[in-house]
Amino acid sequence: MRQPSGRRITALVTGVALVAGLSSACGSGGGDAKKITFWHGYTDVQAETITKLVGEWNGAHPDQKVDPVFSNNDNTLQKTLASFVSGKAPSVAYQYGSSITALTGRHQTQDLTSLVKGDPAVDWNDFFPAARQGATVGDKIYGIPALVDNLGLVYNKKMFDAAGLKYPTPDWTWDDFRNAAKKLSGNNKYGWAYVNDGTEDTVWRFLALLWQAGGDLLDSANKKAAFNSPAGQQAMQLLHDMAVTDKSVYLDTGDQQYLNLFNSGRVGMLWTGPWDLGQINKDVSYGVQYLPGKATHATISGPDYYMLFDKKAQKTAWAFLKWLTSPQVHLRYATQTGDLPLRASEEKLPGYKDYLAKYPGNKVFIDNLSKNVTKARPNIKQYPQISQVLGQAVQAVLLGKKQPQAALADAAKQVDDVLAGS
Amino acid sequence: MASTALTAPAAKDRRPRWSRRRLGEHLAGWGFVSPAILLIGIFGMLPVLWSFWLSFQDTDLTSPGTFAGGAKYAELVRDPLMWDAAKRSAIYTVLFVPLTMVLALPIAVLLNQRIRGITLYRMAVFVPLVTSTVATGIIFNWLLNPQFGPVNAALSKAGLPKQGFFQDPNQALFALVAMTVWGWLGFAVIIYLSALQSVPKDLMEAAALDGCGRLKAFRHVELPLLAPASGFLVVWLTINSLQLFDEVYVTTKGGPLRATTVLVYHLYNKAFVDFDGGYAAAVGCVLFLVILLVTVVQLAISRRTSFYEGR
Repeated sequence: MRQPSGRRITALVTGVALVAGLSSACGSGGGDAKKITFWHGYTDVQAETITKLVGEWNGAHPDQKVDPVFSNNDNTLQKTLASFVSGKAPSVAYQYGSSITALTGRHQTQDLTSLVKGDPAVDWNDFFPAARQGATVGDKIYGIPALVDNLGLVYNKKMFDAAGLKYPTPDWTWDDFRNAAKKLSGNNKYGWAYVNDGTEDTVWRFLALLWQAGGDLLDSANKKAAFNSPAGQQAMQLLHDMAVTDKSVYLDTGDQQYLNLFNSGRVGMLWTGPWDLGQINKDVSYGVQYLPGKATHATISGPDYYMLFDKKAQKTAWAFLKWLTSPQVHLRYATQTGDLPLRASEEKLPGYKDYLAKYPGNKVFIDNLSKNVTKARPNIKQYPQISQVLGQAVQAVLLGKKQPQAALADAAKQVDDVLAGS
Repeated sequence: MASTALTAPAAKDRRPRWSRRRLGEHLAGWGFVSPAILLIGIFGMLPVLWSFWLSFQDTDLTSPGTFAGGAKYAELVRDPLMWDAAKRSAIYTVLFVPLTMVLALPIAVLLNQRIRGITLYRMAVFVPLVTSTVATGIIFNWLLNPQFGPVNAALSKAGLPKQGFFQDPNQALFALVAMTVWGWLGFAVIIYLSALQSVPKDLMEAAALDGCGRLKAFRHVELPLLAPASGFLVVWLTINSLQLFDEVYVTTKGGPLRATTVLVYHLYNKAFVDFDGGYAAAVGCVLFLVILLVTVVQLAISRRTSFYEGR
């Protein structure tokens, strides 16, 4: 019940630490090579599909069985770290791309470079560039892509018709976007929705804006902030103009109401990815387009990975993942779930036509992968801290508490401090 | 008591047997409580001691840490975020505790009547307390949604300006106070209600015979007798409000712009977002000391001002 929660947290902190003390005695266990554990956070149709595929694999490989375990979606990183401490690390786990740098320092995390490079059958370059970049820290590869996605502009056709607006085109500019949002707003309706909880969800849409204006987050050596620039200024200014001046943006607190509001015709446009399309109601007629552009139409990708954490189970785990992420098997998975293809060669398979017929909205996202996913977040261990700083800055601008210039200057100074290691 | 006194002489004659029996009773007693002691020891005391030890270490909670001496405490004192969080915890506590109690007392008096359906009313007041925090959070997020929430809809119907609530850095902490007062009210009401029901009838009758009106009787007879209950509530609610976390986690996640990052939420951020276990443990230890101090002072004051029956 409502017991003192602070105590619970302290207990959690110390619990983890306690296990840390004990585990040194146990050594690292984690399943024998005959049967490996596979942590994932799949639910619904994804869970059904993965279960079916794993069953198929297990039937064909009685000596290399895989045991899928639902771990979690939100706290995967925390759970994985705790599992290191307890000595029961999973052989394979699904991880968010943003977690990679937090995991690479651990001895449990397997370096896959030689496996990837030493096996032509993996065909590493067949994976989309953004996914390859995200898996690479320094010159080492730590993950095999599990999911690629990116942001596109999803709009409600009925609301556009009602406002007498033309549908967004591939060469839409920021001005077109801002004007449309303004026209769609009013009378308890909003042109756009922005997740404003200060987390990475707030930050990555800003990164897309920054890149579109031709800017960058950090300098090329990842030593200093580079976003306090004319491009950063323009990106923040757009957020300020839309959220504060026009009031055409619904600010989502992070409880993901934006999708319900899109469904009920209260929000006209979203910057979102294929994962949300499945949740748009059948009776809502929507379109998907590239993000609007300034200098470019850059979008951002948030690839996720399968990572290996148990040396003893490596052989089995690797064989399984190679199979799971092969073009044929992944296309089957994607056709069931609506995920984007992981590899360029999936588009050449005979089943691809059926896939597109089933998910017509995905076409824009797939084209984005080769056209507009040009940059990636820096894969450095300070990124989570940088993300927090930027999250606060973007939030301050959206809420009208800070002017774009001041927010950028403050954030740049803090990011410089983080990078300098103080 | 009386029976011990009666059997005592008999026991004197057969002393060995008596004390053996007593020893047996002791052992049985310890046997009964030992599972509880063991569990509390392992899951209560040990973590507390461990976190004390942890606060002197530089650790990310997963790899072995290094001894850091008092460095984490020094860092904590220098950290402006920590002071901001402490200030918010203080503001929250100063609002939450008195508000809950001031609202609870009249409700308890109203519920202390013999009227039809009183059980139903009592239950209604108690329900928020047994509602899960997550459910409460979701409901309040919806009620207080600045754009589409029913509260703002009602405000604008009444011609009042719409509010930002959890979205507005200047209001979020107060919205949190409102939500938690609602959640805890039932608890305070129950405590007051039971205290009211244990007020001896003869005292009230005596007051009535002396020509004391209902209001005066409440002011001069019941209210002083409620002092121990009030003392308990002050201590208990203060402890809980200084440890506020769940409600923040399910509504604002410390935002917007850290407006609701109270002490324990700051601790959580340090431990599980920044993975600075030593610092988080140091915050925990300082918080422990602060709560201990506040509690001791409050108890001392409450002892001095309370009447206990039979004293």
